[in-house]
Amino acid sequence: MLTVTNIVKKFNSGERTIKPVNGITFSVEQGTFAAILGKSGSGKSTLLSLLGALDKATSGEVIVDGVNISALPDSKLTAYRRDDIGFVFQQYNLIPNLSAKENVMLPMEFAGVSHAERSKRAGALLEQVELTEEMHGRLANRLSGGMQQRVAIARALANEPKLILADEPTGNLDDETGELIIALLRRLSHEKKTTILVVTHDHALAGQADRKFRLARGTLTEEAVRRQG
Amino acid sequence: MGVVSRSVGNAFRNKVRSGAVIVILAVAIGLALAMLVANQAVASKVDSLKASIGNNLTINPAGARGGFGGGTPLTTAQLTKAAAVPHVAAAQGLLAVRLATNNGTTTGSSGSSNDSGRAGRFGTAGTTSLQSAVAPGVLGARNNSAGASGGTAATPSFSLPIQATGITGSLTASGTAFNITSGSGFSDFAGTSTQALVGSTLATKNGLKVGSTFTVQDRTMKVTGIFDAGTAFDNNAIYLPLAATQTLTDQAGQLSSISVVVDSIDNVSTTQTALTDALGSSTVDVTAGSTNLQSAVTSLGSVQNISLIAFIASLVTAGLIVLLIMIMVVRERRREIGVLKAIGAGNRTIGLQFVIEALVLVALGTVVGSIVAAFSSNPIVSALVASNTTSNAAGRPRQGAANAVGGFGGGGFGGRGVFSGANQLIGTISTSVGWQTLVIGAVGILAIAAIGALVPALLTAKVRPIEVLRGE
Ligand SMILES: Nc1ncnc2c1ncn2[C@@H]1O[C@H](COP(=O)(O)OP(=O)(O)O)[C@@H](O)[C@H]1O
Ligand SMILES: [Mg+2]
Repeated sequence: MLTVTNIVKKFNSGERTIKPVNGITFSVEQGTFAAILGKSGSGKSTLLSLLGALDKATSGEVIVDGVNISALPDSKLTAYRRDDIGFVFQQYNLIPNLSAKENVMLPMEFAGVSHAERSKRAGALLEQVELTEEMHGRLANRLSGGMQQRVAIARALANEPKLILADEPTGNLDDETGELIIALLRRLSHEKKTTILVVTHDHALAGQADRKFRLARGTLTEEAVRRQG
Repeated sequence: MGVVSRSVGNAFRNKVRSGAVIVILAVAIGLALAMLVANQAVASKVDSLKASIGNNLTINPAGARGGFGGGTPLTTAQLTKAAAVPHVAAAQGLLAVRLATNNGTTTGSSGSSNDSGRAGRFGTAGTTSLQSAVAPGVLGARNNSAGASGGTAATPSFSLPIQATGITGSLTASGTAFNITSGSGFSDFAGTSTQALVGSTLATKNGLKVGSTFTVQDRTMKVTGIFDAGTAFDNNAIYLPLAATQTLTDQAGQLSSISVVVDSIDNVSTTQTALTDALGSSTVDVTAGSTNLQSAVTSLGSVQNISLIAFIASLVTAGLIVLLIMIMVVRERRREIGVLKAIGAGNRTIGLQFVIEALVLVALGTVVGSIVAAFSSNPIVSALVASNTTSNAAGRPRQGAANAVGGFGGGGFGGRGVFSGANQLIGTISTSVGWQTLVIGAVGILAIAAIGALVPALLTAKVRPIEVLRGE
């Protein structure tokens, strides 16, 4: 469902140009839980931002379910981000003065879902990410890191996207909480047949993935996975 | 949780800053509203003052005014000349005379004298059967006494003379239209006319109604109308056709004054100069209805301008406050705007959110500002008017006073402060808020809110979704 062909991203910083993404080609099937590994500064976030249409590639194509998003106008890209993509960030990026539930309702509001429906679905999503009812009304900045990331995952799922892009979702969490978050993502990808790309530099977490990629010097290479159990 | 409630919530994310912004906005908006109220109040005062000035000029023989002074009577030739001066819409010759009551005990010589030629004691130009409606009183006795003025010693009883004014049209001596309460104006302006208009108190005193008769000299006059001029002095008088007055008092071709109507208030002072030049300053004195009123209008006009400029300046200030604070807010929330875009918010949704946030601040600033304006409007008007009129205050002596004009009558000369200045004429200016003021104020505030909010809203469109990754 995701086909990437020879994408390049060039940055001009002063005199030098850097190409953190320099000719990447790969594709993944629907419902795949894939991990992308790489050192800090290797271009993992840059790659995800191109897949999620947060930024435009310098060249190359990103095709999602047959649609070449590299060629879409801005208005269509807004709809693409809203309907087809779910983002999970390392810093959670919740709106701090909104409650957990209000954060989850936000993408549905942008999609024009009625208030009652939004409220109902947000409640159900928060249940799925194992946040108890009493946490739903709590302000986002009053939740622990692990809880905030659960809310962020629920928010990413709000409009039932085809593709979830998670950029180091466990980077700010302790190992135990991180493992729970990865397990949660994995379960969701299997239950909902959602394609999930997780950027991480944690090998243990990457070990849980269906497929494993390594990003280095601007190019992506697939590594074999040792499936456990 | 929609865009509106989110915006309201965002407006109070930083409570201390929002509070400070609202206070500053309140001061600016309050000042703007106070200035607007002041502007409107002064504007309506200017209108009423202008209406009371009228467009009138009076031409008197040089050196004569009312019952004082001397000189040569004006002539009908001068009237023709005056009427030809530019901006003169109408010129009416008047002949004011005093008529002694023939069965009364009026002292003072009777003769064929123009009433402007005498000083001190009453001179009369003829007789009438009418009795004055005003009792002489102390002032009348003093005006009529032969010796030193100021004496209040008992004087022989006498009756005050009646003022008769010869006119050629439908305007009073002061150039305004008659307020005829019964009957009608003149139809016969010939020298043989027997028509007369009688003031209301004089008519009552003498039991006259429309159609009643009385005598002037040896002619029997018929009352065609009864008028109310509003003051005791003016209602104790009669009007006759000019030609009849001239015939009856043997003053053919003579006028005591010419009343001129200027085409516009704005041309009054230039026309005053033009008339003096045309007729010669040694022959005539040309006076405006009230120089002080004119200077009052001028100084109020500058108050009007100041308040308008201050209104606009305060609004612009409020707009700048909104603009700067919202630019700051947008910069501060760049990353959050990136988050909203990353999860699918369109530019319009985000722009709207910031516009509403700005409107919330402006609305609260307006509420507090209205309270500020309610308390500051009156002091601001007083301060503005006071500081702009004192320099013009000591104007020229004002003509005319209650119950007494030109040293003649029961009230004496200059019953009201002769040197009353522009300040007193302006009197109190009441600040009340009319619907126009509210509409103008609302439109102005909405405009500043729109300008102040639109620019930052447009800035949010420039924020790219990739901002969400900043600092990661
Ligand atoms: N907007 C930008 N301008 C210039 N250089 C950038 C920009 N964004 C990222 N880079 C550079 O691209 C490289 C890859 O960054 P990034 O994708 O964030 O790496 P990772 O997520 O793997 O740590 C880094 O060297 C970074 O400095
Ligand atoms: Mg990164």
